Order: sequence, then C-alpha cells, then structure tokens
Amino acid sequence: MNDTATPLESFIGYKADTGMQCGNYSIDIPKLQEGEQYRFHFDATKCVGCRCCEVACNEQNNNPADIKWRRVGEMEGGSFPDTLLLFNSMSCNHCVDPACLIGCPTNSYIKFDNGIVFHDDPSCIGCQYCTWNCPYGVPTYHEERHIVTKCHMCHERLAADQSPACVQACPSGAIEIEAVNILEWMANDIDTSGNMPHLADARLTNSTTRFTLPDNMPLEMLKADEHHLKPAHGELPLVFMTVLTQMSLGAFGALFIGDILSLFGFFKPTWIFALLALVPAALGLPLSALHLGRPLKALSAMKNLKTSWLSREAAALGAFTGLMSLNVALYFFDIATAVRLGFELVTLLVGIYGIHAQAMIYRIPARPSWDRFSTNQKFFTTAYSGLFLVALALIISGTTDSATPLLSSAMILSVIHGFFTLGAYNELKASSTPQLEKTLRLYRELFATLHTLRWITLGLGALALPLLSTLLIASGLTSLAIITLVLGFVLIVLSELMDRFLFYTTTVPLQMAGGFFVGAQRH
Amino acid sequence: MINTIKNFLGLDIKAAKYALADDPMFGRISDAKKPDKWVFSTCGYCGVGCGLYIGVRNGKAVYTKGNSAHSVNMGTLCPKGLSEHEMITSSNRLPSPMVRKNGKLQNSSWEDAFTQVSKKFKEISEKHGSSAIGVLSTGQLLTEEFYTLGKLVQLGLRTNNYDGNTTLCMASAVMGYKQSLGSDGPTGSYEDFQHANVIVLVGANISDNHPILKLHIEKNPNKPKIIVIDPRKSKTAQMADMFIPLKPRTDLALFNGLAYIVLEQGWENAEYLKANVTGLGDLRKHLQNYPPQEVANITGIDVKTLYEIARSYASSQAVLSAWTMGVNQSYMGTDTVSAIINLHLLTGQIGRPGAAPFSITGQCNAMGTRETGFTSSLPGYRNYGDEKAASEYADIINVPLELIPTQRGYKYGEIIEAIERGEIKALWVVATNPLVSFVNQTRLRKALAKLELLVVQDAFMSDTAQLSDVIFAAGTWGEKEGSYTNSERRCNRASKAVSPPGIAKSDFDIFLEFSGYFDGVRELIYPNWKTPSDAFEEWKRVSRGQLCDYSGMSYQMMELHGGIQWPCNEQFPLGSPRLYTPDIGFRTYDGKAKLLPLEWIPLQEPTGEQFPIILNTGRTVEQWHTRTKTGNIDILNDLAPEAWVDINPADASALQVKSGDRLSLSSPRGRVDDIVVRVTQTVREGNVFVPFHFNTQLINQLTTSSFCPKSGEPNYKQTAVQLHSVQVPQGIVMKSPEISGTLSYESSEVQSVPKTTGHIVQMIRPF
Ligand code: SF4
Ligand code: SF4
Ligand code: SF4
Repeated sequence: MNDTATPLESFIGYKADTGMQCGNYSIDIPKLQEGEQYRFHFDATKCVGCRCCEVACNEQNNNPADIKWRRVGEMEGGSFPDTLLLFNSMSCNHCVDPACLIGCPTNSYIKFDNGIVFHDDPSCIGCQYCTWNCPYGVPTYHEERHIVTKCHMCHERLAADQSPACVQACPSGAIEIEAVNILEWMANDIDTSGNMPHLADARLTNSTTRFTLPDNMPLEMLKADEHHLKPAHGELPLVFMTVLTQMSLGAFGALFIGDILSLFGFFKPTWIFALLALVPAALGLPLSALHLGRPLKALSAMKNLKTSWLSREAAALGAFTGLMSLNVALYFFDIATAVRLGFELVTLLVGIYGIHAQAMIYRIPARPSWDRFSTNQKFFTTAYSGLFLVALALIISGTTDSATPLLSSAMILSVIHGFFTLGAYNELKASSTPQLEKTLRLYRELFATLHTLRWITLGLGALALPLLSTLLIASGLTSLAIITLVLGFVLIVLSELMDRFLFYTTTVPLQMAGGFFVGAQRH
Repeated sequence: MINTIKNFLGLDIKAAKYALADDPMFGRISDAKKPDKWVFSTCGYCGVGCGLYIGVRNGKAVYTKGNSAHSVNMGTLCPKGLSEHEMITSSNRLPSPMVRKNGKLQNSSWEDAFTQVSKKFKEISEKHGSSAIGVLSTGQLLTEEFYTLGKLVQLGLRTNNYDGNTTLCMASAVMGYKQSLGSDGPTGSYEDFQHANVIVLVGANISDNHPILKLHIEKNPNKPKIIVIDPRKSKTAQMADMFIPLKPRTDLALFNGLAYIVLEQGWENAEYLKANVTGLGDLRKHLQNYPPQEVANITGIDVKTLYEIARSYASSQAVLSAWTMGVNQSYMGTDTVSAIINLHLLTGQIGRPGAAPFSITGQCNAMGTRETGFTSSLPGYRNYGDEKAASEYADIINVPLELIPTQRGYKYGEIIEAIERGEIKALWVVATNPLVSFVNQTRLRKALAKLELLVVQDAFMSDTAQLSDVIFAAGTWGEKEGSYTNSERRCNRASKAVSPPGIAKSDFDIFLEFSGYFDGVRELIYPNWKTPSDAFEEWKRVSRGQLCDYSGMSYQMMELHGGIQWPCNEQFPLGSPRLYTPDIGFRTYDGKAKLLPLEWIPLQEPTGEQFPIILNTGRTVEQWHTRTKTGNIDILNDLAPEAWVDINPADASALQVKSGDRLSLSSPRGRVDDIVVRVTQTVREGNVFVPFHFNTQLINQLTTSSFCPKSGEPNYKQTAVQLHSVQVPQGIVMKSPEISGTLSYESSEVQSVPKTTGHIVQMIRPF
C-alpha cells in the first residue's frame, strides 16, 4: 500500500491557513531596521499550558528530556471560581544587556546583529557561571556535552526564513517572533510589557521578550512549584578552592607583616614560611578546574578581563600564586629585604584584588543569598585561618613569642569573621525576599546539623583550643600546645569548608515559575 | 577507559550529535535524527486525528512532524504526538507472543499461542456455549482492524459479548445521538470552532486532552464568546468569557433549565422545529419541572446567568456545544447528551456552519469501532434487530443470514459482571488495559481471577497483560496500515513506517491468522483477504448508503486531502463537513429529530458523613490513558510522573496539608495511599480531582460500579470519598450533609476513623 504519492514535496514554502505564525515551517518576519532586533512575544492570554512548545524544542535540537531550553511554568491566583491559571512559556529573552554574556569568562556568548544571544559551544569551558548569572535561569549545563547550552532562537532556521520549532508548534499561536526597536523598548514599553510574575525585573538585563498578560490579574500569583525546596549544587571544588586561596591570603599577609616586623628585630621568616603561605593556594587553584566541564581548557577562563569577574579572579589568583612561588625563591636565595618587601607588597595587593574578584563573582542579582556585602566580608575574613596556619608553624619552629601576638590577631579576626557569618544568617531571618526565605529554610530544614557543626567547630577551633594552647605555652607545655593547636586548625578548616558548602548549597536563584512536578527544570 | 577519560576532560562536546542539517521537507532539523524518508500518517493517540509525517532513519522512527497541509492540525501536534516515535521503541514493547507456563509468562511461537487460545475457546464454546467467550476491545486499532475483529468475534467465534473501551468513553454520545437523531455520528466539524459565535465547552477540558482544538478556536475571526461549563476551573476554563461552575453532575438539569427558558421566552426556532423535529409538546410539558429557580438550586448557577446562557443559544448566529467525558461518563450520560441536543434542536443550532452539538472523541479511532465494530450496532450503524438491515449486510458480505447477530450482547460492565457470575469463562482483551481504566478495581480483579482464560492482545506489557495466560504481541501505530476516523468523521490514512519489533504482528494479521485456527472461518469471513485494504474495500461496500458512507473514499484521496469526512459518496464526493444539513436528513423512521423528555437524577452516591468529598477524575496533557504508551517516554513522564490530588485550600487547611505533602483517599470500595497534594483554587471546597492514568496511585480502586443504563458508561466523575492526612487521619467532617446546596466542612479530632469496609450502602445500579 505504499503506492501513494506524498502529497507535498516540501513544507518549507507551504503556508498553512492558521492566520498565525504557528503551524507553518516557514515564517514571514520583517527585515530588521536600524536599531531593531528580533525577540519573542509570548501571549499568556492564549497559552493553554499544553507544553507542545517545550517538547518541540527538544525534538528540534535533539536535546535529551532533562535539557529544556524552553520551559512552561504555571502560576495560580484568585479564588474559586475566579481562579486564574497563568502559564509562562519561556526560553531565552535575548536581552539587550545579557548577564550571561557579561559574566562569561571565555567570551562564549555573542550578541548577533539581529539581537540573538548566541552561545558558542566550542569555546565554552563549562564553568557554568552564566547559569548563575542569568536572572531567568535560562542557560543550562549539558552534562553529556560538558558545556552550557541555551535557546538560540533557532537562528539557523530564522536565517533561512524558517520558523523556530516552538513557534511552529504552539496550537494557540501564543509564541511569536517579532522585531523590536531597542531604544523604544527600553524607553518605556519594557516596564509595561517586559515583565511576568515571578520573573526578575526585565530592566535587570533589559530582557526583550514581550509578554501579554491577562487583564485584572490577581495581585498574588503563586508558583506551582512553590513547595519545592531543593538545595543548589554543593560545588565542592569551589568550596576548597575559595577557602584555600583565602587561607593563603591570610598566611601571606602574616608573612608580609612578619617580614616587616623582622626589621625591628622580631623573628625573621624563612623560605619555609613563604612556602607555607603558598601551599593552600597552590592546592586550591588547580582544584577549581575540577568544577569545569572541560578542565583542560581552564586557562581560557582569563579571556574576558573586560567584563567578567571570573576572568579577573582567575587571572589575579593565578598571578598571586605565581608571585608567591617566586617569593619562595626570593627567600631561598636570600634576596635583599627591600626588594623582597616591595615584591611582597605587590603580591599581597594582587592577592587582595584576587579575593575581591572572587567575592564579586558572587555579587550577582540572580542569586540573592550571595549578592550581599557579607559575601565580601566573609571571603576576606576567612583569611584568619591563614594566620592560624602561620602561628602554628611559628610555635612548631619554637618561636612562641612571635606566635602569641599572631595567635591573638587570628582569634580576633575569627571573631569578626564569626560576626559577619552570623550577621549574614540573621539577615535571612529578617528578609522577605522569597529566595532568601527559602535559603533560610534550606539552612533550617535540610542542613541544620551541618550548620550547628559549623558553629561548634568554629568555636572550638578558633577560640577554645587556641586559648587553651596559649595557656599551655605559658605553662611551658609546648608540645601539648602544638597538639592542641593542630587540632584547632583542623577544626577551623573543617568549619570553613562546611560554611562554604552551605554558602553554595543554600543559595536559591531567581527563577521563573516552574511546573508542579518538574519545577523550573534546572539542576 | 580512554573514552571515560576523554569524557571526563570534556574533550568531546558531541557537536555532531547536536548539529542541524537541511531537510528538504521541513528545513533545518537535527542532523543526528535526519530521516532517510518521511512517511505520511496520522497520529495514533487521541480523537483529534492530527496529520503528520513519521521520519524514518535506518529503519527506526526518529521524528514526528505535524502536517501543515492537514486541515485538522495545520502543522501542530500535541506533546504526545511530537514524541510519538519514541513510543514505538518503548522498553515496554512486546516483541513476541507469550504463554504462561508454570505460572510464568514465557515467549512462545505464534503457533503455540494461537493453538492454545483456539483450543480453549473451542472447549469453552462446546461446554458453555460460544457466549461464554467475552471480548473487550478498544478505540486504538485501525478501522480495517476493527471491522476484521468484529467479524471474527461475531461471525467467527459467534459471541456477541463483545464491547470496547469506547464504552468507558464515548458510549453515551453514541446512544444520545441515536435516541435523539436516529443514528450515531458527530454532527459538526472542527471548522465549526472557527465559524461559531458562541462556543460552549461542557465537561470538556480540551487544553489538556485536545489542545490542538485551540488552534481552531484561535482561528475564529468572530471573537466568539466562550462559555465553559465545568465544576472545575480547568486549564480550559481559563479561556472562558463565561465560566459556569455548576455543581457536580447537575449538567442534565442545567440543559433542561436552558430549554425551559428558551420555550418560556419564545426563543425557540419555530420554523426549524416545525420542519425537522417531533416531541415538542411532550418536552414542553416535561420541562415544567425545570423552572429557572429550581434549576438554579440544583446547579448552583444563578437565574440571571441561566437566562444569559439561554439567550446566547437563542440569539447567536451559530452556537457550537462541544463535550467530552464530563458529560459522557455519567449514570445519565445518554440523556445528558440528548438534553444538549434538545437545546440545539430547539434553537435550530444544528446543520449549519458553526452550529452543532458536537462530541469530541477520546481515542484516535473510537469512531472506527463505533461504525464498523459490531459492538453497539451492526457495521454501518445498522441497528441490531433490524431484519432488513441484517439481511442486507449478510448479502453484501455473502454469509448466511443466521450468522448475523440479532441483538447486542453484554456491554463492558455487564461482561465483567458475567465473568463474576461465572457465565463468561474466557476473555480476550485487545489493546486496552482495564486494570487501570475500569471502575471499582477490587471488584474487577476478583472477577478476572475467575476466568479460565485471559488473552491479552497488546503492543505493550500492560498491567492487564501481566495478568494474562496468553499474550498476542501486536504492532502499534507506525507499524501498520489502515485508517483512523476522528471526532469530526474524518477518515485519515495511517501508514506503516517501520516493522513491529521481534515477531510481533499487526493486529490485522493476528486476526487473519488466528481465524485460520477455526474451521472454515477464515474462508467464510475473510475470503482472499491479505492486506488491510481488502477489509477497507469490503467496508466501503458495507457502508454504502448508510449515514457513515465511505463508499466514495480511497486511500489516495485521504492522503491527498488530509482525510475525508463521511458521508462520502456520489452526492458528497469529498465528504461533508457536517450532518443534518438540508441535504442530510435525520436517520429516524420519520426523518425527524426527536425532542426527548429527560429526567435529571441526583447524585447516585451522595456525599455523607463518612465520605464527604466528591472525587473527580480525568487526564493530563502529558500522559495517555493508562500510560502503557507514554509511561516510558521520559520527556512526557518526567512532567507528570505520578498522580496528584487537587484540593481546595480550605480542605487542605482542615487536613493540615500543604502542596507536596501526601494524602490517602478512601471510598466504600477501597483506599489509595501516597498521593501528592496540590493545593489549588481550581477545585471547589469539598471537591478533589485526581488523574486516572497512574497504576501507582490507582484511583479506580475508589470509583463505583454505577453505569448509564442506556450506554453502559460508568460514572467516573463523582465518587464520594474521604481524605486522610498524617495529621488528620480521620479526615474531613461534614457539618451538614446535603446533596446539593452549599456544603461546609471542618476537621474533627473526635470522630474516629471509619474503616472503609463498605458498610455504607453501595450504590450499584444494575449493569
Ligand atoms: S535571558 Fe539569560 S541567557 Fe538569555 S540573554 Fe538574557 S541573561 Fe542571557
Ligand atoms: S527558538 Fe528554538 S531553541 Fe529557542 S526555545 Fe524555541 S525551539 Fe527552542
Ligand atoms: S505550545 Fe503554546 S499553548 Fe502550549 S504551552 Fe506552549 S505556549 Fe502555551
């Protein structure tokens, strides 16, 4: 029975009589005028939440079921029978000022002339910083490919006047491609037509998607996935990397001050101390590559010094570690103190900038629990652990008189650090930001034990045991003091690793409303 | 090893796998899935009947793409259609027939399977008569297969205890059309959604179940007024200009009330009535029991609104009422359908563009089995007992008249009851899964355990197949040839794109070969039949002159025109978009439609102290029926992996539950545990909704054996249940039990949990 002829040879030129963009495999869109770009229009008054668009996108791009470039979210407001179900079918908003692009350390995002924010796969190293930065949670990490992927508005189809798959698939004609004059959009329409409940303010990135919403929408629209309480990725390589580099900064600072004080007759640090300051960073930095999808390409993380804090961090901390290594040599070959001090000052400044850049990576609106001054405060004060490290080494090397003041400074800094940490936590309790409320719930409901342990270990490791060890030193029981302090240092490191893990895993990103079961379909 | 390392280092970003390539038919598509050929076909899921192409690459189905030139879907497809190729390769497929040996199902040869079943069938026939064999079929096969199966069952096996799962679905529409208009047959077309000025969706959640119909509504240039009648503020209700949240199962009263108003106000179309309709006097008298205030009390819809709806019917140029399961799955489903038709007849809203009472079919080919299948009528809508029709049929197919059954056998529920009584000993289940879909599962399972032989013919290892003694492994959509007829009577071509897995065979081949195991049967009923087209050619002759006239169709025409709507003959060479136009008369004896006096009956199982909540069941867009087809398609299943219960915030707070918590539901018939809570204002206080797809939370353990006496369709939609949370295990306590009127609930700590052993009187209507 296969004798029948295919009625149509090709659908590309064929126009179904829908009166809408949907249904057809080809699309008529006006050529762009000066100052215009393409964008999506999503009409929520038409959408019935059928998810054809979502499945069509995956079919078009051969994406597996768990990689969704287009997602349909559900919200509900009002009360029966005046209940409003609101759907949001969203892929990428092809922003005028894309947070993904600005943050990307490898310049893997390209804003095409036609406005499409395109992700260049080969240059991506899988650092996933864009998935943190986009306030709509658009880019998604593709495990199998080791890179991030996202909607590119079916640019290859558009270029050939073919419809994007989602536009083609929607039976309600709720998704359209249109041209927008960027200046006009930013001048006013963006505020009236660029926003959707539960989405970050369109001004944040100057998102271009136009939303048509129902009239008289209830004030409160609840997300269908409001009940989801999912920890974020723990980012273990980054936990180690950040804590260790911050420890190095503290240790190096101590070294530098010690080197200055040695001019006044105090203990003169040796190359061993210089090496000690280097070790944590030297261990930590390469570890961070492990969180990349493509660790071998780690070096290209420095490509975007112009706009990416990640690039700056990578460059600065790389330099910091390199300079510290050279510094070991300066000590070893006993280069003139003045030269060394100058060199150390530069190194320290680079290190400080590195940790600043490191903190700034997290100062992103898309992750409210990170985007707080406490992040900078905590990152810097974690350096207290480096002071402990050096103090411990001093005691071991038998110079307890130099060790005691350093130990006291370490304790004071750790108390400050404790206050910052506590402050950051208390801020959560006072906040009414939905994401911060959830962060608090994560602390309380999923990580309560770890959180308690963090404080116990900090109290023991940074205060109780060091105090005990000073008593022991005063009583001349040096070896006992050393054991106490070693134990204390181990607890400190554990404590900071726990705290940093909590920092990562309790963050709740800005995100579109998701589905009841699947949530926003981001890992 | 090297690959693992390479993979770990991210050296391979699999660019080729995710690249696009040019396809001459559809433009740029995934290169890795770029087909070597596209096969014209039709979707095999629901009754919308979307036209599509199946992409085949190296003998494997890899793509499904909507056919833009097809009038039904104009290129669009729902999520199930878009991923339909994945169904073919589901891990749940049956590659080989199976026979139970030593208590375990084991692969077997076809010969073994056929021999075993035919032997047992013969043995049972000899001992207990052929009617001790029951057959339950489906709406999923091809028309050619339905016709072939019907002949085999009725003329070969000679049992009329044969029904389909269409009785769980469309039977009330069938019987309603029959009693009002003289014949089954949906009266309208999808294009009527484009022509109507008023669209009434009653008991139809098209957003979830038939999303492609939204395309036709969207195309309507008249800005139609959309009235949605549903106890639930469903996704569909969001489209409504007017949402009518009637109380559960008061639909018939509502339509009677609207008819009352039309007559009271003199809004009826007198001219139309005079020429086309009988029974006005009786109806007028009967409707005196349904004055607006009374109907307002019953339905909970205020009088003013009732007048507004009635006026919409009477004063609009064209009104389309479309309904599905909300109306059909009712203990008075047939009469409710007729009540809708009454209103359309009274206002003359029928047989014109945009004007029709229109049922939307659930399954891809429920229509095919209705027309050809020998269940509710002889092929071609010939009534059982009509001697002239029977001999006409016997002549056409050249068999002795005695062979033609003279009356309908047991309906679905009655077949189960006959098994219960020990009257039916062997059951052959074809492409349906009663172990999820039928009401009152405990009772069903007890009944099935009594069978001497359970044969399941399916493409998937369904729950029912797992219970069977013998499995006939069948091909599914995309693996076989024939045609599907959709809701709007459009006969669409379905083609074979790939071969069935292993040694599985198309259902058509199974029927043909199986018939060979009965002496003389194959020669008699399938003379020289080889391919489905042989069945189709005979069917064309059989349907000639009937309302469902296929005589003018050919497979080529179907492909060329994107399906043909029957009747298709010399008079309507390209079919007719609607029935009961001036050219197509009613199929009653006097050629006139009947206005019928229809009685509203209050809820069969009213809520009470023990079971104060009304459970409504239905579907969700991502899943198909009992999930045999969709349960292994990740992209669908992930979105709706398990059942949930929609519950109003007031009830949720009484039970102290939040979204994401777990609940149990109980009814006099059983208990279902571990259903995730979704607190929502889409259901009214005192009402909950649970989808029926999931065997993991088998909601049909709770539903009741209450059937429409005319159609045999179960009343799935209202079951009195109790909800049990961890905090409030005894559930919700009803303050003042009432059947209609406002109910109020509170939780109580004092009441102890009633064990649900069924000491409440079971409201079982006779089958
Ligand atoms: S929506 Fe997100 S991913 Fe898309 S351009 Fe904007 S910031 Fe980038
Ligand atoms: S435009 Fe293309 S890539 Fe983007 S969501 Fe739609 S189908 Fe997916
Ligand atoms: S296909 Fe259209 S109607 Fe369906 S969910 Fe997507 S946007 Fe909404």
